[in-house]
Amino acid sequence: MKQQQINGGARRAVFTPVDNRARVDAVVRRIGDAIELGLLAEGEQLPGESELAGQLGVSTVTLREALMALRQQGLVTTRRGRGGGSFVSSPEAPGAERLRVRLRGWSTEELRDLGDHWAALSGTAARLAAERTEPDDLVQLRRTAEELTHAADTAARSRIYGRFHVELAAAAQSARLTREQVALQTEIGAVLCLVLGDDEYREEVADRHRSVISAVQDGIQETARRLAERCVQESTARLVALRLTL
Amino acid sequence: MSLATAAAGTAPEKSVTAGVRSALESVFDAVAATRADTAQLLARVAEEGRRPATVDLAALRPGLHLRLGRHELVSGVGFVAAPGLLSDVPAWLEWWQSDADGGVRPLLLDLDPAQSAYADYTHWDWFALPRDTGERAVAGPYVDYLCSDEYSLTLSAPVQMEGRFAGVAAADVYLRHFEAAVLPMLRGLPGPAHLVNARGRVTASADPAHLAGSLTKGPDFAAVLERARPVRFRGLRLVPCPDVPLVLVISLAQS
Repeated sequence: MKQQQINGGARRAVFTPVDNRARVDAVVRRIGDAIELGLLAEGEQLPGESELAGQLGVSTVTLREALMALRQQGLVTTRRGRGGGSFVSSPEAPGAERLRVRLRGWSTEELRDLGDHWAALSGTAARLAAERTEPDDLVQLRRTAEELTHAADTAARSRIYGRFHVELAAAAQSARLTREQVALQTEIGAVLCLVLGDDEYREEVADRHRSVISAVQDGIQETARRLAERCVQESTARLVALRLTL
Repeated sequence: MSLATAAAGTAPEKSVTAGVRSALESVFDAVAATRADTAQLLARVAEEGRRPATVDLAALRPGLHLRLGRHELVSGVGFVAAPGLLSDVPAWLEWWQSDADGGVRPLLLDLDPAQSAYADYTHWDWFALPRDTGERAVAGPYVDYLCSDEYSLTLSAPVQMEGRFAGVAAADVYLRHFEAAVLPMLRGLPGPAHLVNARGRVTASADPAHLAGSLTKGPDFAAVLERARPVRFRGLRLVPCPDVPLVLVISLAQS
């Protein structure tokens, strides 16, 4: 009985129906990010609906809804008939506009939750890195912090920002944290462009990264954790603030 | 640092360091074979008076597949070209990996610097060490988020074309496989034992106080490898492995 009480909330969450809308959004984000990041090239044909649905592990109905949303964002065009199918298109609208549309796809609650996950990953990674680091581990992180201060375009900035957090997880010597961080950056990386376009904020992030590196180098574990968490929380807060203006 | 020279290696620890050496030498055999194939291929292309291209490297595949199948410890193997070597692409990894079902698959990376933050691989130890020293190298343990997402060791050696550095031949060993290979030996020693690399990073361990990935701080392990004979450091006995850059660390009983 007691056991059931303890597990009640978690168990109920397990057996709630899977939200179809959330799946559509997830597919839209995944494919949208891939186009944004250039992983899918302009004009490239997407696999057929049933194959793509199978690969993504969603129903064809869900996939069709997602393709519809992508068409509305101008990221995919669909041609009927022989030689038809869905094709990647990079629309005329500036990238920032498309990214705003994508950010609108996140609720503030989802962004808050993503920020919590990210802070947990990067905070723990920083603490472990401080415990396990030796000077050679920091070479890549330093290079990345330097590159961020020189990256001109916003897409490059968000890629380098993401790489810093992946390298931090690798410096923690944890393959699991690294894999989680890579997955998280795939999800959020593209929309980070929206806040990293601001030169002042980019400089602030680079400073925060440098201070994380210093704490890791000095082996001050709790400081490293706190600084990495602050860095992530600040970025998430900016995304939430921007989301609320949309 | 005070490193008291200890008596010459005892028989059990000698057999462990020899066993570790032979495990890594079997992987270096795969690296050497890849290096020889690649050097031969590049020499042939040079004789034809042209620059190599990705299509030429396809000739390496039968050998790479064979090595993946034959070497139990090897989970990835290939040739990583120095940027600018090939005529058709700026950078390239002719890299093959074993998959979970016992098959082999190529690694396909996005090496376009305009699209990927991970396009430049020339700063990784497995590339930079052989390039800068001209010698074979053991990189890691490290989280290989470029190729396998695994905690790994990468063994590599430089390849030359017409006397110039052309890239590295390399093989990946996942740390869990390496540990499985050496753990029985470590457990056979009288005291808690672990292996570290030249920087003190634990590479395999039968000592719960020193787990893989953590650092054993204090001794200058590079110096121990340089001197190539066992030493004592506080409560530890440090025994360098012959020919490979790992040190066996045995905690001595408190008395």
